[in-house]
Amino acid sequence: MILAVCGKGGVGKTTVSAIGAKALAASGVKALIVDADPAAGLAMALGIEPKRTLNDVRKAIIEEVKAGRRDERDLAVSVDYLVAEALTERDNLAFLSIGRPEDVGCYCKVNVILKDAIEMLGGMFGATLIDAEAGIEQVNRKVMGAVDYVLLVSDTSAKAVRVAETIRDVSGRMIPDAGAGLLVNRVREPAEADRVESNTSLEVIGRVPEDDTVREFDAGQKSFFDLPECPASIAVEGTLTAAGFLS
Amino acid sequence: MGLFDEQITAVRRFIDEAEDAGRLRRLDSPAAEPWPSGSVLVLEEDTALELGNPSVGSLSMLVWAAEGEARDGAVSLVGPDLAEASGAGLPFAQVVIAAGDFPNEYDSYRDLRDAVYDTRLKGLSVRAMPSKQVLWCRVSRQAADAGFSIGHLGAALLESLRDVPGVTAAEALFITSSQEDISRLSGAAAGARRLVDAMMKMYQENNFDCETCEYQDVCETVMDLKQIRKKLTDGKAVPG
Repeated sequence: MILAVCGKGGVGKTTVSAIGAKALAASGVKALIVDADPAAGLAMALGIEPKRTLNDVRKAIIEEVKAGRRDERDLAVSVDYLVAEALTERDNLAFLSIGRPEDVGCYCKVNVILKDAIEMLGGMFGATLIDAEAGIEQVNRKVMGAVDYVLLVSDTSAKAVRVAETIRDVSGRMIPDAGAGLLVNRVREPAEADRVESNTSLEVIGRVPEDDTVREFDAGQKSFFDLPECPASIAVEGTLTAAGFLS
Repeated sequence: MGLFDEQITAVRRFIDEAEDAGRLRRLDSPAAEPWPSGSVLVLEEDTALELGNPSVGSLSMLVWAAEGEARDGAVSLVGPDLAEASGAGLPFAQVVIAAGDFPNEYDSYRDLRDAVYDTRLKGLSVRAMPSKQVLWCRVSRQAADAGFSIGHLGAALLESLRDVPGVTAAEALFITSSQEDISRLSGAAAGARRLVDAMMKMYQENNFDCETCEYQDVCETVMDLKQIRKKLTDGKAVPG
């Protein structure tokens, strides 16, 4: 199953993804964790330092194309090698960072090969979790064509909920077969979450309380692999279970 | 004369010298049972042994020749077999010689290459970068415990090659001894890659302007490339 964590910037997508990654590691499932946010916050939250990013792979393949004499099969084999080299592994998880795309011209063939490689790679794992870029850009670009479930993350602000609804509208058109649910994050009072739930058409599948332990890990830049069980982690794991991502 | 005569001579010299020094093992009769095919995802946690990690030395070389130029079924090894490895990784070279009748070099190259990359053995992940001629493999703990060996890999590789149209014989050499041993074949491998690149350029671009071609030097010295060029300029072959 491929689950993408989406939402407005600053609502806690990366924290949710990091807690999800830790839960996957504990479950023993072989999982691919994709940091698709160019800001690369998930790598930092997990204490991972990727040696290479997918954008480095893309640049290397573009160099191969420029050098010529490589047919598509050669390129596909090379992408497989370079993507494997870009994976950082830990506790049955393989971590892949997208990196910051640079404008190096149009290389549609390379992009297609990369997309195919990621989909094939994802198919080899029991689960794939994608920490998506903020907003709707990646959904619009059909980056997430193979996603089975869109986990929309919002805080209790009306603006964040609207962004989540827009993402759902777009993803519903792009990937109509994918499921979707809203996680309301940083809930201080149950009434705040009740208000969100009564004002949105989205299905709320989880409420995650504001949690000092999570704030401390964020502020101290500690690895979420070391996060102890806390109200927020229990709620995130419960939400991922409700989404059918964790068993 | 064949396209890869020089490279095959270098491989034969390496094999003969290793044999004379008592460092070569023949694994021509591998395990009674072929190794099963299966999952090719091997994560670090499940890895018993890594072969050809970019940091320790890696080489992949594929050449072909006329019928009778390969010792069919021969699998040779210089260095420890997988069960004898003392650490978590070994340098790794895989040299494959296929022999037979290959009227269309471009199609044959692609078929042979696919046969080499698509062995898909259970517990063995293989990743290659053709332009760098490197091969990076992981053997899972489960496969290692079940006795997976270079003999199994060689047998699977040769079986896969024998399915390629035109192939009548195939042999493989593996080196796991040292980066130094591998580097003795790196010149031959680079030469083979350059010949393949020149051949692919002819087939893909259909441009035979030798004055501006970066492969002019190899085309002038390798008779078979001249013949491919002539065949293509005469319109006797169409890229597949």
